[in-house]
Amino acid sequence: MTAVSPPVRVARSAPVRPAGYGLVRAGRASFLVHRRSALVAVGLLLVLAAASVAYLCVGERFVPPSEVVKVLLGDGSSFVVEELRLPRLATGLMAGAAFGVAGALIQTVARNPLASPDVIGISQGAGAVTVAAMTFGLTSYAVIPYVSIAGGLLAAGLVYVFAWRGGLHATRFVLIGIGFAIALRSLTHLFMTKGDYLVAQQAQIWMTGSLNGRGWDESLPLRVTLLVMLPAVLWAARAQRTVSLDDDTATALGVRLGRVRLGLVAVGVVLASVATGVAGPVDFVALLAPQIARRTTRTAQIPLLCSALTGALVVILADLLGRRLLAPTELPVGVLTAAVGAPYLIWLIMRSRGVGGKA
Amino acid sequence: MTAIRTRRASRRVVATTAAVVALLLAVLLSLAVGARPVAPATVLDALLHGATSPDAEVVRELRVPRTLIGLMVGAALALAGTALQGITRNPIADPGILGISQGASAGVVLAIAVAGVHTLGGYVWFAFAGAALASVAVYAIASSGRGGATPVKLALGGAAINALLLSVTTGVLTTRASALDEFRFWQIGSLDGRDTQIVAQTWPFLLLGALLVLSVARGLDALALGEDVAKGLGQRVATVRIVGGVGATVLTGAGVAAAGPIAFVGLAVPHIARAVVGGDHRWVLPMAALIGPVMLLVSDVVGRVLFPPGEVPAGVMTALIGVPFLVTLVRRKAVPA
Repeated sequence: MTAVSPPVRVARSAPVRPAGYGLVRAGRASFLVHRRSALVAVGLLLVLAAASVAYLCVGERFVPPSEVVKVLLGDGSSFVVEELRLPRLATGLMAGAAFGVAGALIQTVARNPLASPDVIGISQGAGAVTVAAMTFGLTSYAVIPYVSIAGGLLAAGLVYVFAWRGGLHATRFVLIGIGFAIALRSLTHLFMTKGDYLVAQQAQIWMTGSLNGRGWDESLPLRVTLLVMLPAVLWAARAQRTVSLDDDTATALGVRLGRVRLGLVAVGVVLASVATGVAGPVDFVALLAPQIARRTTRTAQIPLLCSALTGALVVILADLLGRRLLAPTELPVGVLTAAVGAPYLIWLIMRSRGVGGKA
Repeated sequence: MTAIRTRRASRRVVATTAAVVALLLAVLLSLAVGARPVAPATVLDALLHGATSPDAEVVRELRVPRTLIGLMVGAALALAGTALQGITRNPIADPGILGISQGASAGVVLAIAVAGVHTLGGYVWFAFAGAALASVAVYAIASSGRGGATPVKLALGGAAINALLLSVTTGVLTTRASALDEFRFWQIGSLDGRDTQIVAQTWPFLLLGALLVLSVARGLDALALGEDVAKGLGQRVATVRIVGGVGATVLTGAGVAAAGPIAFVGLAVPHIARAVVGGDHRWVLPMAALIGPVMLLVSDVVGRVLFPPGEVPAGVMTALIGVPFLVTLVRRKAVPA
């Protein structure tokens, strides 16, 4: 028995496998998988599945879980579940995942949990441009998300350019981002007074972040973008590791750190902006999800998959609560996420040593 | 010594004169410029000789109250910003950035939607309560933990409180649709459509706030040298902070109740005032009270002529002017991390 394992294989695999990681082989490819992260991901998926079924059951009319599962398996049919709740659930899951990944990427690059898209003006940029478009008669949810992407990119670009000074200092980035966020919010309010009352009302609901009335048509841009962005996200998951290198090591390894960082931020901005376009600026999800994910997986890096799953979970739980808390009045999902997220942000600030360090 | 002192004194006299002249010009512009341009001579006629031409009516009925509100709110926000920057020893302190304006706004929303209050006299108490809660919360957040109330922690605490209050506000507005139509025109921050009654209701609060802030001018000077030195000089640091903080809160609450949240006036004006008259708060505070209205009135006038016949509200104009100011301030490394 002792002679079975060839010594060459032991020598090749043993030293490169860090503690806590397992090796997964699929044909000729092999991956290192962080065991705890994999367990957390599986656990999150199970919770997410349970929460999704609950989401489909609960509402103005209760649908028993057995019927929901039947509908999902294609055995039964229910108008409420198929036409109303399922599309809304799908939108919430996708938007939440997009916010989670966006937050994870931007926080990784800034090495700062506070640099989330809703603190540094990206959400507000997407919001200002979107409300402007609504005011000028653009009410189609098929187009609005693309307008939002443009707004988010524009805001991110402005903050990036003005905060750049031979380097990107986290403090400068956050302060200038907050300034832009204030100015962009004030522009949003200006556009709200330009349209008639109904437009203002629509914009107001959109701005809080709401999944109400998001069917398959409305979430199409989100599905398209997520599909198109998938290769970019996979690239980002690999590139994320190199960002933690210091500048000298990266240069020695031939990594162009500046470009990698810019690429990661760009992926994050696109995801955050399109999610904002479909669901509105659902506050704090991009801030919360990556940090919850990092704490539960106990990794140094912010894990992308777990951030996505956590983001999705936060959004659908908040929406479920918002639908039922004051029923029949519906609270927009953003009100609920802010109620949880703002205290968390406050706690983060109270704990942090300045802003450069990890909180 | 005496030579330097006289030079500084004469410089201050020149600066004060220039500020007063600028203020008079801003007032004249605010009265004369708009959808219906009125010649300065007609303005004077309307004010002094009780002329009854349509132009004179426009000036008296619309532009005089608007200008008075601009004067009062500009001075209030500038004084509040100066006091906050002194109390926190923080160059980016501003009622808007610290979330105090948003606190006052949330108070007004609740007044409109829940308490059914629709007059400024009613708004103002809710605005005070909201502003006070927000300022206490932000300071408590920022000063706890290691490092104390650094600029970044204050700004982030303000951002957190802003987001929280904004969601309260929008939560109320999405469920109470009737309040939205009243609130959306108020929340951008504007001097438009304010009548003389608002002026009459606001000035006592502004006077009270200004007196509170001015009474701690010496204490703010001492604080600028550091907390320990201030204590060594016999200043009661806690009293200075509380009195100054209450003054700033009253000024912000009254200003926001009268004109809506107007961003960045409280940030920019104190820096300009200090650049002109030096660090002595007995000079900086009055100078800020002169420059604040100039900035607000000029913003308002520019907003009126930019895209006729529509108007860009003063709150939006100050936000657009304020961002470059903040960017410069942060980039100059005037703001320590």
